[in-house]
Amino acid sequence: MLGLLAAMAVAEEPAVDQKLLRTRYRSGEETLRAFAPLAAAMHSSIVKLAVDDETVALGAVVDASGLVLTKASEIRPGKLTCWLANEMQVGAELVRVAEEDDVALVRVHAPGLKPVQWADSEVHVGQWAITTGIAPTPHAVGIVSALPRRIRPQRAFIGVQFDFSTSGTTIEHVLEGLGAEKAGLKPGDIIKAVNDTAVTNRAQVVEMLRDFRAGQTVKLRVGRDEVQFDAQVSMMAPNDEVLGAELYPQPGPDRFTGERSQRAEGFEQVIEHDTVLQPWLCGGPLVNLDGKAIGLNIARVGRVSTYALPAGLVKQILKRLQSSPHPGAPLDTITR
Amino acid sequence: MHAIRFLRTRTAWWLLAAVLAGALSWSNARNSRGATVDRAGAAASAATSVRKQTNSALADASLPAVPKPAPSRRSEWAPAFGKTTPTSLDDLKAIERQVKAVAGRVSPAVVAVEVGYGSGSGVVVSADGLVLTAGHVCGSPNRPGRLTFPDGRSARGKTLGVARDTDCGLMRITDRGPWPFAAMGDLQEARAGDRVLALGHPGGFDLKRSLVVRLGRVIRFTPEVLQTDCPISPGDSGGPLFDMQGRVIGIHTAISGSTAENFHVAISTYYEAWNELARGAGNIGRPAPPRAYVGAIGVDDAPGCRLTSVEKNSPAQRAGLKVGDVVVKVDHREIKASASFLRWVTEATPGETLSLEVKRGDQLLALDVKVEAPPRSP
Repeated sequence: MLGLLAAMAVAEEPAVDQKLLRTRYRSGEETLRAFAPLAAAMHSSIVKLAVDDETVALGAVVDASGLVLTKASEIRPGKLTCWLANEMQVGAELVRVAEEDDVALVRVHAPGLKPVQWADSEVHVGQWAITTGIAPTPHAVGIVSALPRRIRPQRAFIGVQFDFSTSGTTIEHVLEGLGAEKAGLKPGDIIKAVNDTAVTNRAQVVEMLRDFRAGQTVKLRVGRDEVQFDAQVSMMAPNDEVLGAELYPQPGPDRFTGERSQRAEGFEQVIEHDTVLQPWLCGGPLVNLDGKAIGLNIARVGRVSTYALPAGLVKQILKRLQSSPHPGAPLDTITR
Repeated sequence: MHAIRFLRTRTAWWLLAAVLAGALSWSNARNSRGATVDRAGAAASAATSVRKQTNSALADASLPAVPKPAPSRRSEWAPAFGKTTPTSLDDLKAIERQVKAVAGRVSPAVVAVEVGYGSGSGVVVSADGLVLTAGHVCGSPNRPGRLTFPDGRSARGKTLGVARDTDCGLMRITDRGPWPFAAMGDLQEARAGDRVLALGHPGGFDLKRSLVVRLGRVIRFTPEVLQTDCPISPGDSGGPLFDMQGRVIGIHTAISGSTAENFHVAISTYYEAWNELARGAGNIGRPAPPRAYVGAIGVDDAPGCRLTSVEKNSPAQRAGLKVGDVVVKVDHREIKASASFLRWVTEATPGETLSLEVKRGDQLLALDVKVEAPPRSP
């Protein structure tokens, strides 16, 4: 492959004046200056979160008392603080986590915060999608690339191999130590239904299991000889030792995509936008030209895309986070 | 599932090949693996020969005719598009209005393309189903393919011509039309800084997601290739680049490690090679003569190029170069960036000896490296 490198000739460069200056690129400094009024208007609604003094995420202020939403999986254990636009650094604490949505509620101890205004309008492909922070100009800008859709969870497994000689659902092999074995499944068993939906071929089963996350339990109707019974099988992540990471490699940074968020899959709904955003700048609001948040940046996914949870969904998540049973508990995790 | 993963890998590979140009042989970046073209030397003669062939093919009336470029209406564009950068929220609003309108109008014509084991994108440019795509998406002429429209409808098609040197590819939908199509444009009035939309199906067709639209600017261009900061990725290959009135002005072909280095075959190249493409020629252009190879790559480490990889049994290894070495001079010329290191190497003639000045820790070493013709690519 390296041979290719040298095989590529370098031709004469066009004259400098024919080349766009870097500062005028779509997220170049000069371009971003046009967005400065928007960034300024958002300043008291955004915080920059740091763990042990290293920036991990932005956060969107949702309550003037200091409640902030952010991307949960970036808040690793450590000393949580937050930076404000006035260059003040204040303490912060994790209040509650909606794990399935990867959203955390954080309390920051700062006066003068102003809640983000969430947009009510529909999202359109091609509209500006602006990621502002606490700096005078946005971190980066892009456009909405695709309309809101669901993103399936990272693939998880029950731990069986099917008999590939037919399209049927006969189990040929049960992997050691995974959910299927623990639930008592055996080679020769036939899967008849997944969560009460009848299945007759392998592709259906694989497709249906794609909707489950690692750690969730799926009910399988199993046929063995003349009897049928239900088995509760727990799903496991592909990076589990038993499955072998090399068999199911996890997408990581490479020279095309750059840095990618650890948690970039499994969202109820996302707006896809083309902003090139560093993973540690997720968690903050994604803003339109009216200065309203159309979403909350939730993951840097790859070279061409960043995901944001749409405003409507964020409001629902916030409601769930604020109304869950043990308000005031030091930290608890809620599910949908 | 496995098969699909494999297909994508193939497409990615092509892009990978281009990326290794890395440093960046910019007007060459679109050339496919192995089939590189000596842009600097042979471009002019290749273009001339294509033109000659084109003329001789003009007589054949049964070939699909080239669609006429839609005229540029640049003078009617909002003032915001004439500025070097937008200066107000009003400018940004004007851009947004236009981008939304263009994206909505052209989207129905942007297809996902599957040919053999490859998957890419393409754009329909005539009601009877002529499709512009990348040469490396077609592979070779007369192969069956499937084209999927953003709404999920799909049609059968076949590949027509493929240009190896420029990476142009032409396909035709063989099912009966009419099909939604976009207008072809030209680069007569184009400028660096023009806003452009990149559409395509990165990662393959996904009905729940459908098309992915990206906005960027033209960083530079020649009659053969455009570089933009519209991020594209594997699966986008063959997809269209639109100007701000919705005319196709480029076709996605290659990327590098930088999100600002996305390459698109210029639309002029399709006009140039049209009759060859329409006739189903598979060998337009010719492969490059071998360039010098050293077997080491690096990254910018001012002032110089810090080597991040030294290939086994390469000229670099034989010369004693090691990972971590910072090359500061080649033949007494200062290296200001990794790109210039690569450039001096590739501009040498195989067999030539280059004297390098290399920083290793506190030491300054002088090493001679004899460059060679590259080993055959996988």
